[in-house]
Amino acid sequence: MNVELTDLTRNFGRHPAVAGVTLTLGPGVHGLLGPNGAGKTSLLRMLATVLPPSSGQLRLLDRDPKSPAARREIRRRLGYLPQNLGYYPAFTVVEFIEYFALLKEMPSARIPKAVATAVERVDLGVKAKARLRTLSGGMLRRVGIAQAIVNDPQLLLLDEPTAGLDPEQRVAFRALLRDLGERATVIVSTHLVEDVGAACSEVALMDAGQIVFRGTPDELTVRGQDHGVGDAPLERGYSAVLAAARS
Amino acid sequence: MTEPDDVDLNRVWTNLAAEVWRRHPGRLERTAARLLRSPGLARALLTTPSLLVPWLVSTVVVFGAGALLRLGPGQPVVWLLAPALAAVGIAYAYGPGVDPAWELSYSMAVSERMILLTRALAVFAVNAVLGLAASAASGAVASLTFGWLLPMTAICGVTLAVAVAARSATVGAAAGVAAWVITVLANQTASGQLTATVTDTETYLPYVAAAACAAVAVAFLTRPQRGLQ
Repeated sequence: MNVELTDLTRNFGRHPAVAGVTLTLGPGVHGLLGPNGAGKTSLLRMLATVLPPSSGQLRLLDRDPKSPAARREIRRRLGYLPQNLGYYPAFTVVEFIEYFALLKEMPSARIPKAVATAVERVDLGVKAKARLRTLSGGMLRRVGIAQAIVNDPQLLLLDEPTAGLDPEQRVAFRALLRDLGERATVIVSTHLVEDVGAACSEVALMDAGQIVFRGTPDELTVRGQDHGVGDAPLERGYSAVLAAARS
Repeated sequence: MTEPDDVDLNRVWTNLAAEVWRRHPGRLERTAARLLRSPGLARALLTTPSLLVPWLVSTVVVFGAGALLRLGPGQPVVWLLAPALAAVGIAYAYGPGVDPAWELSYSMAVSERMILLTRALAVFAVNAVLGLAASAASGAVASLTFGWLLPMTAICGVTLAVAVAARSATVGAAAGVAAWVITVLANQTASGQLTATVTDTETYLPYVAAAACAAVAVAFLTRPQRGLQ
């Protein structure tokens, strides 16, 4: 299994952002749904090894990230798109992606081709030499996705990846996700249930730091039958599970 | 014109694009990569905010002014400026709000601790070289030309430790500059001479102790298990 969490907790002061999550994930595209403040981003940051857990066990790619050597190996095989992607305005698209390929310690000889492949996969070829300060929000998001996939990661963590993408780009991105999920474990945190329905083989729903539902998108849809809140079947399932968890 | 069936045009295009888009590192980056044994660390070093051209130009201008301005006969103010300038540069070398892609950098295989220390050392070295050049050009006596190096080490260490602990470059820079001002004024009050801070050999031991304490604090605060809070 690529991701094994046992009773994982993260507190900020007295506030538990993630409260005892136990989860095992293999290859495939996994959606992480939940309202604002549910703990999705904190969970993703722990999986990205940037935020240490307060308690519990975390194993990624069959390694314990507490060990510096293991963490380095995990990070070489990791792709991460944070919710707020910081960028260097004077860098070009290619320079930015190459920078993170270098920081992921990819072999130098492989980097130019890996960067070109990543740029093409997010359809930014025509902007490859453009400065980041000249790009739109949607294009910057695609640059962020490109840097996340440049090392062909075994574990890919995407926090709100479709924010700012237009409908056509979102359709293309979902196809990319399905392709990546055939070999890697892809975890997508999102507010958009339609992304989950279209691209994810499995979905986990978080509320108040806990996983309150885990199953396929179809199973989530079934939970919404006879529940009136929501425009789409999956939205009704989402609302029904949240309502049940809070009651 | 026909093409063979087994030609993968996507692969051809990707290979072509890789060559066309390939970035050729400059001599400085290649040298840094060889010295540091890490192309990633070398690239991270060259993106240091306080080593970018506008910052360096500002530093040269301030040192130049420090070499020209004098507190008294044979007392250029460059010794007074050097530790504070280096401390501010180190505070703004790496961290949240300073490096735009800090969180992303934190999830990378190249250690964030190595990036911090490499950048801090480079900023220190550049400021030391510029400060020494300005000091030497000002024609000050040897004790003033070289005397500020030890206090600069201590102040830079304190600044780095505070910036890392507070996770704020501004707080670190403010603490470093404040510590330097207090040190200068305290020594002046005790000895009656403003330059006593750098010329009095009795102060060397406290500077070494402060630098050592700061180094221990930075090592503790950046220990691998800590992560982003």
